[in-house]
Amino acid sequence: MIYFEKRENISAKLKIVIPIVSLLIGILFGALAIVVVGINPYAVYKSLFVNAFGSWYAFSETLVAATPLMLITAGLILVFKMGIWNIGAYGQYIMGAILSSYFAIFMPPEISKPLMLILMFAGGAIGGAIWAVIPAIFKVFWEVNEVITTLLLNYIALYVLKFLMYGPWKNPKSFGFPLSKPFPSSAQLPVLFEHTRINLGLAFALISIIAVWFIIKKTNFGYEVRVIGNNPTTAKYAGISVGKNIIIAMAISGALAGIAGMVQVSGIIHFLQVKINANYGYTSIIVAWISYLNPALCLLSSVLFGGLESGGYSIQISMRVSYGIVGLIESIALFSIVGAQIFLNYKLRWKK
Amino acid sequence: MNTATVLKAIDITKKFPETVANEGINFSLHKGEIHALLGENGAGKTTFMNILYGIYMPTKGEIRINDKPVQIKTPLDAINNGIGMIHQHFMLVEPLSVLENIVLGLKDQGIVIDRKAVKDKLKEIANLYSLEVNPDKKIWQLSVGEQQKVEIIKVLFRGANILILDEPTAVLRPQETEPLFDILRKMKKDGKAIIFITHKLDEVMAVSDKISILRKGRLVKTVDKESVTKKQLAEMMVGRAVLFDFEKKEKRAKETLLSVENLDVYSAQQGVNIVEDVNFTVKKGEILGIAGISGNGQQAIVQTIAGLRKATRGSVVFEGKNITNKTPRYVAQIGINYIPADRIGMGLASDLSCIDNAIMRNYYKKPISSNRIINYKKSEEHTRRIVDMFNIAVADIFAPIKLLSGGNMQKLLFARELFENPKLLIASYPTRGLDIASTEFVRKQMLKIRDEDMSVILISEDLDEILSISDRIAVVYKGKIMGIADAKDIDKNTIGLMMAGTRLEDIAL
Repeated sequence: MIYFEKRENISAKLKIVIPIVSLLIGILFGALAIVVVGINPYAVYKSLFVNAFGSWYAFSETLVAATPLMLITAGLILVFKMGIWNIGAYGQYIMGAILSSYFAIFMPPEISKPLMLILMFAGGAIGGAIWAVIPAIFKVFWEVNEVITTLLLNYIALYVLKFLMYGPWKNPKSFGFPLSKPFPSSAQLPVLFEHTRINLGLAFALISIIAVWFIIKKTNFGYEVRVIGNNPTTAKYAGISVGKNIIIAMAISGALAGIAGMVQVSGIIHFLQVKINANYGYTSIIVAWISYLNPALCLLSSVLFGGLESGGYSIQISMRVSYGIVGLIESIALFSIVGAQIFLNYKLRWKK
Repeated sequence: MNTATVLKAIDITKKFPETVANEGINFSLHKGEIHALLGENGAGKTTFMNILYGIYMPTKGEIRINDKPVQIKTPLDAINNGIGMIHQHFMLVEPLSVLENIVLGLKDQGIVIDRKAVKDKLKEIANLYSLEVNPDKKIWQLSVGEQQKVEIIKVLFRGANILILDEPTAVLRPQETEPLFDILRKMKKDGKAIIFITHKLDEVMAVSDKISILRKGRLVKTVDKESVTKKQLAEMMVGRAVLFDFEKKEKRAKETLLSVENLDVYSAQQGVNIVEDVNFTVKKGEILGIAGISGNGQQAIVQTIAGLRKATRGSVVFEGKNITNKTPRYVAQIGINYIPADRIGMGLASDLSCIDNAIMRNYYKKPISSNRIINYKKSEEHTRRIVDMFNIAVADIFAPIKLLSGGNMQKLLFARELFENPKLLIASYPTRGLDIASTEFVRKQMLKIRDEDMSVILISEDLDEILSISDRIAVVYKGKIMGIADAKDIDKNTIGLMMAGTRLEDIAL
């Protein structure tokens, strides 16, 4: 018979091993799927790796994909630490992209670049924050489960975007494609390294990770977040306003997701369309878990998953393997990592 | 009485990373015997029982059942060996019926429960031991005493011959313990062997045949009941001549600090008023004891004062200011500090460090925090001061507080609240789980702040504690106060009657 025995202490070694093994299990299942379609999985993974980390340009593309992951994950770490399960970064990202695009599309192009970018930045942050505060208010005042509300708001955000793209914001010169008119150059984030797409958004991402680390570790608010996350009853007892803190943390989390959306449209795509890679919002949930809600580790995992994303696009073209493989690897890795949490606190024993 | 040995524990030792909970325990239990296991909190009683019941594996030692060595690795092994445990906190599923709870987890029941066969067997058990409970009632409809009966029936239903009862009287009113003892005596007559864990000497003398005394993880002695006195037992239990005798300075408190008037608290969960028309005052420099069986509204009363529950009627006035339904933060800032009964569920954040827990009351104040940023160096100093002053055994103040023993957690919590220099300290079960020395220390601290003209509301189940340190005692029953009397004008018997719902004036007259 197999049974579980409680560990005296959480195993530090396993804390490192579990995410790595989880990712390997994901890669293994991905390999199985590749074999089924009759392609050599080794060649695919080799190509994926080369296209993610093999050259400076490949790596720069990895960083481009890692940028929104860092921004969103930083915010998710804050709310997840509190025990609030914000599944709505997808929608918050879209709303941030929409609101920041509003300025790019409708402001007179003559206004100065800094002013335009500040407006777009604020639009992104506010759009995302509103979309996150709505479920937070429902949670605080009527005890509506935030997992459901944040998830449902994702669909609403997507349909708002589709409505705008097929309707009022559609570029009349786009030959019927659901695109906005291109952003003026004043609405494009400056590129940081020549011949790459790495832009100022990466700086936002790094600053946001440091800021979240600082908030959690050093401030009164961060202390309150940690106490609430550990036990809301204790927090209430200590005189902490649980509801207020939930709303603030959700606003920050939503704002960072919204900024990620702004960075994507302003720094990479340069117009608004239906496909703006909002799936980063879901991938970031995995990134947050795999980093144990630790801001420093989130930097590392974001780059890793950024590589998976950007390498994944390349293998689609070079190896004719569906990009869905990347989604498969990511989801199986999340599955394994969540399932493996039990081994941190328990060990397996055999008995005859 | 030299009957067969049904259970023998030889040289049982259990080591934990930080402590040795049991050391070299030799223990034997005979057929038809009630064997009391007596010891202070933290003496190792529970660890020893958990070893017998398969929750822990001993580091060393052997267990024999009916002279056969056995390995008890899980509670299932224990049940298969005829050992049954009645936990202090019942393991019952509230929305299910008595019958469903009894068959829960039984493997031979198949998919559909054979209700008739189960009821027949229940009737048999009921007749044998006068354990009658309506099998179709839901658990939540039963009183605590009845729920305990269900727990006992559950164990007997599984064919247990050895029953372990972990402080079974802790949840009962004084008047409910005698019927329980009758049941135990009937089971004994039927040849069951019973281990009865307690720290109450009266009960030991009333019901047991043999007594084993545990102290600091060792079994001090096993004696026949006839051959000892209560006083000797107490000395063996504590390890020196006791008992608590505090020097309580005569004092006449006059000025009113807190007054509670016509207080009602409604619980939406239970659909009733859990506090009803409660009136009392606390004077400056006095200790007001609140006695009562747990769950009779004493928690709700003090939580309402502390701002954690809403009063539906009535008022709380502190130093002339109406503080009814103010926030917990406000109440703490005007000088009322509260030590909750549930330290892990409310008083502490168990996954956070000792430092984070120690600063819970002042993390937002200078000098710990300025400009909304916490100074962790200052926090560390604050924590070390608390730890040193109260002699709290902490290996690492950066490690999660849940790694501390229950007693040390309680000390940190108590110290944290005391460090705020409250005008009124509300202490719920402040000595529960503490060893003798810490208990004495905590009680002395409460008396000390009383002498410094601060006030204390003390909630306790331990009547000796309440009687020895309170100035006045209020007794609650079903959310109402049955009466308030000076500690010197009241005895345990009267308190017991009031705890069962008799008003003080009806006793006095």
